[in-house]
Amino acid sequence: MGIALFGLLRKELVQFFRDRLILTLILWLYTIEVVICAVALSFDVSHLPLAVVDEDRSALSRSLIQKFAVSETFDLKFQETRVATATDLLEKGDATMVLVVPAGFEGALLAGKSAQLQLLQDGTNSNIAANAVNDALQIVQRQEREALPAAGKKGVAVPLIRIWYNPDLTTSGFIVLSMIALAGMMVGVIHPAASIVREKERGTIEQLLVTPISTLELFLAKVTPTLIMGVLSIFPSLVIVRVFDVPLQGSLLLFLVLTAIFLLSAIALGVLIAAYSRTLQQALLLSFFGLFPLMFLSGSLTPVEAMPPFLQSLSLLSPLRYYMDIIVGIFLKGAGLAVLWDEALALLVIGVTLFIFSLWVFRRRVQ
Amino acid sequence: MKAHRLGALIVKESRELIRDPVTIALAVIMPLIMLFLFGYAVNLDVEQVAVGIYDLDNTPASRDLSARFDSSRYFQLEQKTTDLRDLESALQSSTISMGVVIPAGLARQLLRGDEAPVQVIVDGGYPVLGRLASAYAEAVIANFPAPRQSAVRVQARVWFNPSLRSVNFVIPGLFAVILMAFPPLLTALAIVREKETGTIEQIYASPVTSTEFVVGKLVPYGLVAFLEILMVMVVGFAWFQVPIAGSPILLLTSAFVYVLTTVGIGLLVSSLVRTQLAAMLITLIVTLMPSFLFSGFLFPLFTMPLALQLYSWLFPAGYFMEISRGIVLKSAGLEAVLPNLMMLIVYTVLVFVFAAWRMKQKVA
Amino acid sequence: MSSPEPIVAKGLGRQFGDNVVIEPLDVSVDRGQRVGIVGADGAGKTTLLQMLAGILDPTVGECRVLGFDTRREAKQVAAQIGYMSQGFTLYDRLSVKENLSFAARIRDVPDELYRERSERLLSMSGLGRFTDRPAAKLSGGMQKKLSLCTNLVHEPELLILDEPGLGVDPLSRRHLWTMLDRFRSQGLTMVVATSYMDEAERCDRILLLEQGRVLADGSLEELLRPAAGRVFTVNAGDTGRGLRELSGILAQIDSVHSVQWLPDHLRLVMNADIAENQLAELLPEGTHLAAAEPRLEDLFVLRTDRRAGEQQFPELARQDRGKEEGLVATGLSVRFGHFKAVDRVSFEAPSGELLALLGPNGAGKTTLIRALCGLVAIDEGNARVAGVSSGGGSTALRRQIGYMSQRFSLYLELTPWENLRFFANAYGLAGGAARAAIDWAREVTGLTDIPDKLTGDLSSALRQRLALACSLLHRPRVLFLDEPTSGVDPVARYRFWRVIRELAASGMTVLVTTHYLEEAAYCDRLALMLDGRLLAHGSRSSLNHSLGLEADATVEMLFTAAIEQAGTANSRALGP
Repeated sequence: MGIALFGLLRKELVQFFRDRLILTLILWLYTIEVVICAVALSFDVSHLPLAVVDEDRSALSRSLIQKFAVSETFDLKFQETRVATATDLLEKGDATMVLVVPAGFEGALLAGKSAQLQLLQDGTNSNIAANAVNDALQIVQRQEREALPAAGKKGVAVPLIRIWYNPDLTTSGFIVLSMIALAGMMVGVIHPAASIVREKERGTIEQLLVTPISTLELFLAKVTPTLIMGVLSIFPSLVIVRVFDVPLQGSLLLFLVLTAIFLLSAIALGVLIAAYSRTLQQALLLSFFGLFPLMFLSGSLTPVEAMPPFLQSLSLLSPLRYYMDIIVGIFLKGAGLAVLWDEALALLVIGVTLFIFSLWVFRRRVQ
Repeated sequence: MKAHRLGALIVKESRELIRDPVTIALAVIMPLIMLFLFGYAVNLDVEQVAVGIYDLDNTPASRDLSARFDSSRYFQLEQKTTDLRDLESALQSSTISMGVVIPAGLARQLLRGDEAPVQVIVDGGYPVLGRLASAYAEAVIANFPAPRQSAVRVQARVWFNPSLRSVNFVIPGLFAVILMAFPPLLTALAIVREKETGTIEQIYASPVTSTEFVVGKLVPYGLVAFLEILMVMVVGFAWFQVPIAGSPILLLTSAFVYVLTTVGIGLLVSSLVRTQLAAMLITLIVTLMPSFLFSGFLFPLFTMPLALQLYSWLFPAGYFMEISRGIVLKSAGLEAVLPNLMMLIVYTVLVFVFAAWRMKQKVA
Repeated sequence: MSSPEPIVAKGLGRQFGDNVVIEPLDVSVDRGQRVGIVGADGAGKTTLLQMLAGILDPTVGECRVLGFDTRREAKQVAAQIGYMSQGFTLYDRLSVKENLSFAARIRDVPDELYRERSERLLSMSGLGRFTDRPAAKLSGGMQKKLSLCTNLVHEPELLILDEPGLGVDPLSRRHLWTMLDRFRSQGLTMVVATSYMDEAERCDRILLLEQGRVLADGSLEELLRPAAGRVFTVNAGDTGRGLRELSGILAQIDSVHSVQWLPDHLRLVMNADIAENQLAELLPEGTHLAAAEPRLEDLFVLRTDRRAGEQQFPELARQDRGKEEGLVATGLSVRFGHFKAVDRVSFEAPSGELLALLGPNGAGKTTLIRALCGLVAIDEGNARVAGVSSGGGSTALRRQIGYMSQRFSLYLELTPWENLRFFANAYGLAGGAARAAIDWAREVTGLTDIPDKLTGDLSSALRQRLALACSLLHRPRVLFLDEPTSGVDPVARYRFWRVIRELAASGMTVLVTTHYLEEAAYCDRLALMLDGRLLAHGSRSSLNHSLGLEADATVEMLFTAAIEQAGTANSRALGP
């Protein structure tokens, strides 16, 4: 077993490094893709173009508008005198919010009466809209507390919000981490699938089957290089993670070990796909369509909490979901095994089950 | 261009397509799967955020506050603990996304008429969730025990999507994404397969011109793509109950132009590469990835750095996305969508001209 | 009507990057001529044909086909010629009729003409009964015939064929040529690239291509003139010497250019004219020497460097292993669904036998070999290979067999050396043992200096030898070779067969399939397969006898007779 397995592994490695296409693809996924996504993609709600109609022209209205202008969320782009022109901007999409301060705003407040403010928000992107409205309300409340320090202080609960792990709630760190997890998933599935199917297409697999190499050896030789590569590819990403100011709070060793366990499930999926496809094209299409649900049910792109209950339960089957919790836990929260043991266990159970199943299928299909 | 040659090409292509049940199934089922997956999963309306409460006060008042979190549709009480470390580890392992610490003396302070601070610890690891959770928590606490009386009454009106439903936003965007995912791939693979199997040499060695060849592929695959978009639109609007504010005719017309664009891109890709693998990878890079990431589908374009905004203009999905959302959400008319529609038309023409030019009638 | 000449090429040349594939050449072809293009692997035959067909632009020079410039007026050229490329150019999912009508329509054939011609072509090709069958379900031979029909349906004035006989069984090949002969009589001009010498011999004129240059151009007699008086056959007669010993003696003679091993004699090509009696004096007493008519193969041999042709062959220790150590199949059947790919086949081949497995495309030869190797499950009966049961493909079986598939399954992105080392490892050989095995296999197959390139960049002749070396590393007792010589030039084939015979002589059982029927003469016994069944099995002379043929009838005659006899019994001889 020793010599043949050694020979197989050496062959796989040589092929791996000669296959420029796959090599480029892997490097691309782990580095450039991660960077592009982190730079470009963001759920941060910031710099929303704001149009203001100040009909009050008072000290208070100016101070309120100033607060909007300096906030992260809004960029004061337009100061209009007529509501109609401001709403035109909204319609054309040049502004996403219109703030109207009606005449008599300051007067009413100073007189202890209630005053009206009007916010018009473009709701097309519901996520942005909800956040923008929330932020605007907070700014108004702040202004109110400052202007009328005595108001509404009697016997109320005051929220003191503290954000842990990522105090500014920036999304780039999270996106970097989820892209790394996605890259691991994609490479883990596609590489073994491609390397097995290529042997099928070229007919070399038959040549292997007339040698004394056992299917177990063949399986191990197809699986091990991806596992090693998958774990090693983490290192360039670590540099990128640094650049984006995402600190590694927890243990690197734990991260690598759990990454390896995670890759087991991905690789097992790749082997399964290869076992059922005849051509590289079929394998790629299958992995492409298999990866989609896994990615979307993992919380790496959108929060799992936002899904309907059925999909939430389905997401419990996606190894990527646990890996996301682990990667975020280790990097951002400094979590250790004591905390992450249940995710690790889930990952291990899914990984080992899939792995054994894929070995079983591989043995039956390859023979 | 001769009618009988073109006819022969179209008939041949359609026969091949119809006799390939796997491809047909993929062309029909995958867009629907994608529609349902995205329609449900790409939803940013967060509900039922898992909350842990550490109640140091343990009075009827503090229990009332806990109950308010539990009864809010935004939160779900996952854990009640008397140990701060439990809360910490639950946050670390993402069992809960938010912890609420009710300090001892809450009831007393409220009775005395003082301000009673309630600490909320939000998991910033999942920023989208964290942002929404903190806003919701703020509202729950600030309105405790009685709704806060505010002197400024803010009248917030949301235009175009008053219910702020994510699906209203996601579904019209999905049309652009789904159509960019499948037709280019199917078309590109169909031509490259001819190159790989060598059947294209018969075409080369015949009087068929490159325009005839390109149009012969365009008609059947364009038809499949158009049926795809029809299907996705009908299911999308009916199942997810997305109201169409504007003109459905205008939407279909624009979709027709977009169908041509997507098939054209497939043709172009296939004229540039020799193997199906390369065709597939390139198609993924120039169609699916940008239409998903750089079209404004989920991630707003205006927050991107300028260079990437320019990059995003290279891909047509964004143009159709704006048309589709404009018509569906803002009831945009022809005048409003015209600039984007013109962009699509110009884009399509360029793609076809380039593809026909590249589709040389030679081996090398 | 004075119509322009079919082909006039002036200074036509092509290079890909720095690699000159065709040196600038002048060729013109007269109306009605049949021109054969022969040459070794990589000589540039396909490139030349593609330029003539106007689907590949030349880098230098120009070419006019039927009066049109191939570069600027490629579409006019395309409208009036037929071009059949080496690969299959049929649409798998379309039926025979649909493929043909598609070809007619894109070539502007009017409907009424199409109806009449398609009927004629289909009946001529024997495809008339299968008009509704998808092209994918046709045998290789029928696909070629259909390809030919699609290129004749517009009645072109010039037909360009690239290796029409490659991978096609002998019967279909004969059919193909019958069709071509019929169109020729109507004045069709033809240019054919081929590696079958009998096909080349059917041409009026032959271009011998080597490394992109035309080495010879003329009728067969003109071409063969330099070899006249220089070709002899020798056999050991009653001296009791083996061919091996005889060739050792001949190798010592300076004036001998090369010695080729044929089934029962040696074929000598001399460096210069030599009188028969002069040569006879140099040979041992009692050997039979005869002057022979030169053939195209001899021309190839003459063109090959003497040293390259002469290979030091290592002494192989003869290992006699007794009868049961070879191949035994009893009632072997393999089914794919309802289709019986192999139907109750029984035969045996004792240790050291060289057995040829012959049959048309789709007869079940490859499936039989795969079943014997344990690659497909045996549904009925059983087989023992080197004393081990084939069922299940046990490790014990795999240690005893070598298998070389039709596609020379090698890792193209590895170097030849890496391939050898990998397969040595796969057979459990490492370190010194692996090196020794590789050295031995390289020596046996004549791969002494292997280029330091990737296997994918090697010529098919080199790949063929490498694939053989890889399957020999563990010195198998039984060797399976599935079309090992397909697409390989004659000199390489000569050499290959010499190796195979030596291996068999050392006690290895060898089962080989081939479409080059003359090669079957190298084998001790022949087995004929049709529709999954074994029609006949025995030595050539005994088979000739049982079929009522002359004792010295060629394998081709034997093959045809056997298939036709079976065909009358069950009118499906032309079936897929």
